[in-house]
Amino acid sequence: MPGVQFPLSLEYITNILMLTNSLFYLFSNVLIISSFMVIFVQNAVYSVLFLVLSFISAASLLFLLECEFIAFMFIIIYVGAIAVLFLFVVMMLDIKVLNISKDSLKYFPFGSFIGLVFLVEILILVQESFQLNPYQLHDFFNFYVNWYDKIDAVSEIEAIGQVLYTHYVLQFLVAGNILLLATVGVVVLTVNTNIVNLKNQIIFKQLARNYKNVLLF
Amino acid sequence: MTLETLLFKEINIFPELFLGISIVYLTLHSTFISINKHYILIQNSLVSLGVLILLLVCYLLLNNQLDLLNVTNFNNSIVNDYFSFSTKLIICFLSLSCLLMIQQYLADQKLNHFEYVILLLFSILGLFILISSNDLLTAYLAIELQSLSFYVLAAFKKNSTFSIESGIKYFILGSFSSCLFLLGSSLLYGLTGTINFEDFKDLFLWFFQSNTVLTTLNFDVTLILMAMMFILISLFFKLAIAPFHVWAPDVYEGSPSASTFFFSVVPKLSIFVLLFRLFYFSFYSFFDYWRYFVVIFLVFTVIVGSFGGLEQRKLKSLLVYSSISHMGYSLIAFTTGTFEGIQILFSYLIIYSFSGLCVWSIFMLTRLKNNYKNKQNKDLTDLVLLGKSNKMLAIFFTTVLFSIAGFPPMIGFIVKITVFLSAIEASMYFVALLSILGSVIATFYYIRIVKILFFEKLLIGKLYYPINTSKSILVVLLFFLFLFLFINPTLLFLFSYKLTLISLPM
Repeated sequence: MPGVQFPLSLEYITNILMLTNSLFYLFSNVLIISSFMVIFVQNAVYSVLFLVLSFISAASLLFLLECEFIAFMFIIIYVGAIAVLFLFVVMMLDIKVLNISKDSLKYFPFGSFIGLVFLVEILILVQESFQLNPYQLHDFFNFYVNWYDKIDAVSEIEAIGQVLYTHYVLQFLVAGNILLLATVGVVVLTVNTNIVNLKNQIIFKQLARNYKNVLLF
Repeated sequence: MTLETLLFKEINIFPELFLGISIVYLTLHSTFISINKHYILIQNSLVSLGVLILLLVCYLLLNNQLDLLNVTNFNNSIVNDYFSFSTKLIICFLSLSCLLMIQQYLADQKLNHFEYVILLLFSILGLFILISSNDLLTAYLAIELQSLSFYVLAAFKKNSTFSIESGIKYFILGSFSSCLFLLGSSLLYGLTGTINFEDFKDLFLWFFQSNTVLTTLNFDVTLILMAMMFILISLFFKLAIAPFHVWAPDVYEGSPSASTFFFSVVPKLSIFVLLFRLFYFSFYSFFDYWRYFVVIFLVFTVIVGSFGGLEQRKLKSLLVYSSISHMGYSLIAFTTGTFEGIQILFSYLIIYSFSGLCVWSIFMLTRLKNNYKNKQNKDLTDLVLLGKSNKMLAIFFTTVLFSIAGFPPMIGFIVKITVFLSAIEASMYFVALLSILGSVIATFYYIRIVKILFFEKLLIGKLYYPINTSKSILVVLLFFLFLFLFINPTLLFLFSYKLTLISLPM
């Protein structure tokens, strides 16, 4: 981190922690709310848009955990491909807005039962796996310092890029060639250049037309 | 990286690099020409450009003296040795002659989109990288590059329902087999932690069934075997080996003949190179395990190839069944596991590709004079009394068919007999017996073509367009090659001996 003096002051660290914590709460709340909205919103298009929002907030959570590569993959694959595909399908299907609140009330007991089961499982897992820090109320208790940040200055994307552009440059180029080939193939299979007498709208002609030039009887 | 560190000669993928860059350049060039107002037809000139590019690739291969090298680079993922060098040369020659032969066909069928040649060059680039690939990732990418362009080539004739159907069939089954390849390679990566062929070799070299250490260690090979089976099956899909051959007759029949020509002649050799690298270089120590599966597949393949061809009325699907049975014969040499077996495998594959080239060239050159100019698919009866109307062509056709069937005065006889001999030497008597019987049955449909060419009781034969001189020279050269190699087969066998000697790790 350029422009930061070492050793880091306590104030600085607390500020950073405050910021990351508040961002974490923000994004996780957005994630929870938007995933609820995916289910409860009546209009299918809105629900897909909320799905996109939930993907984005999940990706930003991953960013906070410094898993940049997975975050980018999340955005590229889920938002760029899958959600857009959903959106297209929903728009093409032209589903009418239905009143599904009665149905959801019908399924509520069963759904909440399954949700409770999962909640209990997760709570049991957390209780078995994690322990309270025994030093928390002790003099030895330290502030959390992300030592990984201090030691390893290379971010994940940079590390992947360093391997990708040196050792695996050929594979990278071949993948690019595959993309080019896919584009060429799609153009070949879809573009129709054979139509000679295509009837086009000539806008100038339409605009220039007035009643005086029209054939009169 | 500056230019000093990146000397092209040291990279020694210079031919592939040249091919890739020229493909991109060709795409730009032809796009800019063809979007011009007059819709100039540039298909013919592009075919010539493609031939030129392939010639230059040949020159670069020869010029760099890559045959003297045996190096791996790009993080050990590309291997350049005599083996890859010579197979690249052969593939270059085959595809070059393919391009020359299909030129007239493309003009006749009005396949005027310039992308045809570009797609062909893409697939050749994929085959080149496949040949010199030394890890699973590179091999997968190369297979994808090659087969993606094949799917588009199969569906290229957009106004024909058959072509579109065959393209979709090829796409679905081909992507399925690619999935199997990925599954197998991810299993292998999970088990061993590497995807490099050389690392596989180092890891499993100690592993033999007779190894006594193993019985004490209780080493479990089931999962590795499963992964190998997945990879084997996916490659067998590409080669159209019998239980996975069902797509082949439909796809080859439906797609435009130029594409079928290319599918059946060029890619088999390079896929066998990958099979060889995987199963003789990396997993040779598991030989006893995978052999049984391959033997079952190959016997089935020979039977299907010989019986399936009997009922065919179309020349193309007949040739497909013939190629299926030939893949079976080459698998016989593949399963022997001996040094001679590998030598014979490569000599057989080389002769198979060249005779395929000759047969398909003749198929392309016999252009019927009839009312249906767009009729591309030849019935057997379209060749009736070719012996009267074009005697030399009929004689050449007969000779090549006899060579493929394995009759004595041609090289086909020698390579076929050596395949069966290698099977017998490896004590695979039953396999040899079955495949000899299959070969006898398969001879029937070759002889039937000869009968149609010469001895049909008809008064009126068909008329054909005259044949271009340069193309007929190529056919004549191939014809004399088969005769000459029968007299002097040492040339072929020494070549394949050298190939095997250099490429085997042990």
